[in-house]
Amino acid sequence: MPSHAPAPPAQQPPQVESASTATPPPVVKKRKSKAPIFLIAPTLIILIAALGYPVGWQIVTSFQKFGLKQQFGAPPEFVGFDNYTALLTDPNFWVILGRSLLFCLLAAGITVLIGFLFAILMKRVGTVARLILQVSMLLAWAMPVVAAMTVWVWLVDWRRGVLNWLLTRFGFDAEGHNWLAEPLTFFAIALIIVVWMSVPFVALSIYAGLTQISEEVLEAAAMDGATGIQRIRYIVMPLIAPVLSIVLLLQLIWDLRVFTQIKLLQDAGGVANETNLLGTYIYQMGVGSGDFGAASAVSILMLIITIAISWYYVRSLMKEEN
Amino acid sequence: MKIKSVSTGVWTVVAIAVAVVWAFPVYWMFNSSFLPNAVLQSTTPTFLPFGGSFDNFKNVFADGKFVAALGISLTVTLTTVAVALFVAFLGALAISRFKFKGRKSFILAMLLIQMLPAEGMFIAQYKMMSSVGLLNNVLGLTLLYTAAVIPFTIWMLRGFVAGVPAELEEAGMVDGLSRTQAFMRITFPLLAPGLVASGVYAFLQAWNEFTVALVVMTEDQMKTLPLWLRGFVQASATRETDWGLVMAASMMVAVPVIIFFMIVQSKMSSGLVGGAVKG
Amino acid sequence: MKKYLGLAALTTAAALSLTACGGSGAPAASSAPTSTGSASASTPAGNADKTLTLWLAGGDTPDALRTYLKDTFKSKTGATLKIEEQAWPDLVTKMTTALPDANNTPDVVEMGNTQSPTFTNIGAFTDLSDMFEELGGAKLIPSFVEAGSVDGKKFTLPYYAGSRYMFQRADVWKEAGVETPKTLDEFNTAVKTITEKNPRDIKNFSGFFLGGQDWRNGISWIFANGGELAKKDGDQWVSTLSDPNTLKGLAQLQDLYKTASKAPADAKDATPWLYINDADQILDEAGKPTGKTSLAAATIMAPGWAHFSIGDLAKDAKTGKDVREWNDKKFSTLVLPGNDGKPAPVLAGGSNIGISAKSQNQDLAKDLMRIIFSSEYQDLLGKNGLGPANSDNNASLGNDEFAKAAIASASNSKLTPAAPGWAAVESSMKLEEFFGKIRDAADLEALAKEYDAKITPQLNLK
Repeated sequence: MPSHAPAPPAQQPPQVESASTATPPPVVKKRKSKAPIFLIAPTLIILIAALGYPVGWQIVTSFQKFGLKQQFGAPPEFVGFDNYTALLTDPNFWVILGRSLLFCLLAAGITVLIGFLFAILMKRVGTVARLILQVSMLLAWAMPVVAAMTVWVWLVDWRRGVLNWLLTRFGFDAEGHNWLAEPLTFFAIALIIVVWMSVPFVALSIYAGLTQISEEVLEAAAMDGATGIQRIRYIVMPLIAPVLSIVLLLQLIWDLRVFTQIKLLQDAGGVANETNLLGTYIYQMGVGSGDFGAASAVSILMLIITIAISWYYVRSLMKEEN
Repeated sequence: MKIKSVSTGVWTVVAIAVAVVWAFPVYWMFNSSFLPNAVLQSTTPTFLPFGGSFDNFKNVFADGKFVAALGISLTVTLTTVAVALFVAFLGALAISRFKFKGRKSFILAMLLIQMLPAEGMFIAQYKMMSSVGLLNNVLGLTLLYTAAVIPFTIWMLRGFVAGVPAELEEAGMVDGLSRTQAFMRITFPLLAPGLVASGVYAFLQAWNEFTVALVVMTEDQMKTLPLWLRGFVQASATRETDWGLVMAASMMVAVPVIIFFMIVQSKMSSGLVGGAVKG
Repeated sequence: MKKYLGLAALTTAAALSLTACGGSGAPAASSAPTSTGSASASTPAGNADKTLTLWLAGGDTPDALRTYLKDTFKSKTGATLKIEEQAWPDLVTKMTTALPDANNTPDVVEMGNTQSPTFTNIGAFTDLSDMFEELGGAKLIPSFVEAGSVDGKKFTLPYYAGSRYMFQRADVWKEAGVETPKTLDEFNTAVKTITEKNPRDIKNFSGFFLGGQDWRNGISWIFANGGELAKKDGDQWVSTLSDPNTLKGLAQLQDLYKTASKAPADAKDATPWLYINDADQILDEAGKPTGKTSLAAATIMAPGWAHFSIGDLAKDAKTGKDVREWNDKKFSTLVLPGNDGKPAPVLAGGSNIGISAKSQNQDLAKDLMRIIFSSEYQDLLGKNGLGPANSDNNASLGNDEFAKAAIASASNSKLTPAAPGWAAVESSMKLEEFFGKIRDAADLEALAKEYDAKITPQLNLK
């Protein structure tokens, strides 16, 4: 699903993160039983029922010449790796790939950084301020994507937007400035929106992690003369590293496949071909231009790239499972 | 001590400032939804809904489609949450309480499925739904949504399941409870926060999704709320976007989520107050 | 049964007379008896449980016409007509998924005339050649018929048309002291002069507001100079942006973008009327307008039906909704003149309509086509400002200035190339991208060549 901002809420206990910590793996019963098979069967059935055909279709189609004609019944022809070689030799693909990776790294990095700072802030301030901040996060988080995008598009509107009005107020010549026209500012706006939507999840998760750090330890460290930064660096960071790494991984996965936000921004303005990321590129190529073979090939490549990016993490995770 | 309270004051101001900035888009939607279009069309923004009215909301309800879309969205979302939680819970139980062949592959698969790009699958999803007669069907959409949220839900839940020591349950059985009773009375309450957390995730996903719905819900009367809202925005844009109306419509989509959050928050707190889950 | 039919006819008449309040009562009076008459003659009882699905694109077809279609269809065939509105941006997606699917295909589909060739070429629609004469034949707008034909076979037919013309702020033109232009060059100079004079001292004021990506309107300058977007060379289509005539038009456009239009480079053709309407004029003590107004342009170009969106803000007495009321003192229309003083060729806007080849209700779908192409319905289109498909019904547009402008500009209107891959060109947004770069292009010819190379492969279906 393309939508953003899913996640565990504030008081989520830290056990979620234990998956990746060095703490001992869960109590595992070493008995031979058919029970686990019955337990995972419903999951497998649903996943195969819903995803089996689409994923299979995508893999097969990526090796076919499959355009609108084929969609309307002409028999598709197998072309081997033609779709892949065409893509890999198309400079445009590499541009979009590079752009997507950059966007994904920036968005995920900034989101986790801001989320971390907000979590520290929540820990630092009194109950009332914390609640205000939490409610604000929850509101942003609860905004449905389509509704949020509608508001944002209006906020950055070149004639009526609050953004330009504010900037003009502060003495910038922003009146009538169109932020979506230039790819660079288009992505800046997109980045702000994506970060805005994702920070609540990250901040609340990290905060949940922080609440598990005992006050005594921090106070003891303070007594020993550790500064605030030092306490964060040497005590807090190691303890919440697992949470950080999980939210970072999830943000990387989600931000690489960001679709809805970019699509709706493109609908509002901007030059589609210069503002495509992988998600919108696949959409435009497939449903838009009717080249489903190539679109499927991009999807498969994108999957491989995501796996490659997260490989290090996935491997360490799998090691813990042993 | 004094220094600390001064800096706390500074941080409190910072926290409130951050909260204001972050909530501003939400407030803007709220504010504008009460204002008439003529006011909103002005080059000078109006920041407070003085002199506002509920006219925009009346007009939103006037098209009569909102209630139908709300019904569909609620049905699909709540079914997705219920089914996904149940199924994912079983899956989480399997991987955290049992060692079995294929366990690692199963966990890996749950991770990889989240990486599948959805944008290339629309055509195939349509074909599949059409061939089994599940197009324009709440069940069909629920199936697609459930499959989309299960992997992450399992991932999330297994941490909670693992956090409840099996010994607790066994102790209960020693005290004469059956296995099911032990589970229901001891383990399940401890899992409540985890279930709620995962439920929130599933709820948001299903509530927000619109591209899959766009493809498999083709009939007017089968539109989900995001589709309804998008149609509303587009229809308004063909003449002259009536921002007040559009913001009121957006509010109508956001409010159920906010209500859901409020209900869940209190439930989750009570679960935590129970105090059982402490690492 | 009889009673029921009478009732249906009655509702038809009632619905029509209700909707006709704004205009004349003529259609209600003329159509009700005919529908009753034919109903009793040809209602096959077996259709009662059948439903036909019609996809209409966007909200251009007014509710009154939808009601007419549903009621007339019911009374003529006994079957139910279900109308589903598809949003323009999603239409290609929806057609791509649903049309090949026999179980779920809509039976009759409206699509943009420029989207038609791609789908007709792959056999998505039923061949209507045998009923072409019955539906209007040569009277149907030829360029639209052409867009829906493959090798002489007629697959989709015109649904409605609207040509583009200029809407002016007559008051601003007057304040700038500029005469009504008679040739294209005069027009170009006039809007430049208005921009320079900027009589109301409005920030970012455009003498002629033309969105950077608005190729559908900008294309007129290419056509007027004898240029084309693409030509068929043998059996292959070739993009012709860098042809000398096209380049001449592009150079004029570049000049307009630089000197007359302050529209953003990424503005498309949606809602240009926002810029010539007064939305929030703020008066100072002397009653003079201050700079703060939404008025930002003296001229825009838009399809004829845009006139419903232009005017002073007023409240609709019945619905209480905000509507625009045309004001002759402020607004006027102008047909873009060509180099020869006659109307310049403009891109015809509008839709085609066809029957899905996979539809299981071919006969009922044809019945619906007969209703759509009937004189009554064609007149209803005209009365609602939509150019009828059948030229016999042009009179229904009326004889106000909009009708005159519409008919004059339509006399020389053109369509996009009938290349099989044209929809792909449009949905890949290459033209938007190209037009958006015109203003700042240092070397127009190089830019045009670059896009020729990008567009040509898309024109011919793989």
